Amino acid sequence: MAMPFDDPDTTPDEALLAAFAAGDRTAARVLTMRLTPRVLAHAYRLLGNRAEAEEVAQEAMLRLWRQAPDWRAGEAKVTTWLYRVTANLCIDRRRRARGGSVPLDAVPEPPDPQPGVAERMQMRTRAEALQAALNDLPERQRQAVVLRHIEGLANPEIAGIMGASVEAVESLTTRGRRALAAALGTRKEELGYADER
Amino acid sequence: MPMSDDRHEDARLETFFEAARGTPPEPSAALMAAVLRAAEGVQPAAPRASLVARLREAFGGWPALAGLATAAAAGVWIGTALPEAVIGAAEAAYLVDVAPELAFDLAGDF
Repeated sequence: MAMPFDDPDTTPDEALLAAFAAGDRTAARVLTMRLTPRVLAHAYRLLGNRAEAEEVAQEAMLRLWRQAPDWRAGEAKVTTWLYRVTANLCIDRRRRARGGSVPLDAVPEPPDPQPGVAERMQMRTRAEALQAALNDLPERQRQAVVLRHIEGLANPEIAGIMGASVEAVESLTTRGRRALAAALGTRKEELGYADER
Repeated sequence: MPMSDDRHEDARLETFFEAARGTPPEPSAALMAAVLRAAEGVQPAAPRASLVARLREAFGGWPALAGLATAAAAGVWIGTALPEAVIGAAEAAYLVDVAPELAFDLAGDF
């Protein structure tokens, strides 16, 4: 069938979702490729567990597909809605007793690029250290810090996702950063900061 | 904490966020396939496109179809107008209709 958009890569999420609801298969593929990695990354940062994050990502995307026919244009960004759904699924999951989850599949390690292997390894070590520190933060602080500093969202959008005031978000990110700095400060040497003052 | 230490701490923390942004988890093929399968299961069937729309797609959209229409119109014009204008009586003598039974005489209808 004819595509109602010229270039899928530059078409806004909302237009693609409307096309999806109208039965456009290409829109489903483009949205899957564009949004699944973001949802997975967000779930992973909130849960600290790859297999569980994949399950959450799958569920969040399913909810998006189901929501598509009733999507009210102009009310919320698709990504804002997805961040909120993902966070809620993660919170539910953390509150329930752990265990009983079946991984979808073995999760492959990201490919190791040949150039800058040492830098890449250091980056991964730092990312893992950050994840470990994030896992120890209180839920709301973790969510606010991840949305602000990793997803790069502005405070008003974070406030919308979290159902909190902008001031509350600022307070959460400030406390979260402080706790992360303290947790990561004790591992300077192994994280490649031994030479710094 | 003095201001410079604060800034130093912020810069140091930023390298960790940068590392996290630079090493996002890659979705597995199984996850992508599951999400697409779910989409197909939920997605309503597209309304069947009209014949015109399907022809348009087959020929590559409106621009291609416009070119085709122009070419067809030019063909009709050449076929009807050119022999009288360009072909003289001498040349016409050499024209042979190889399949007269396939011809349809528009002029005969008038």
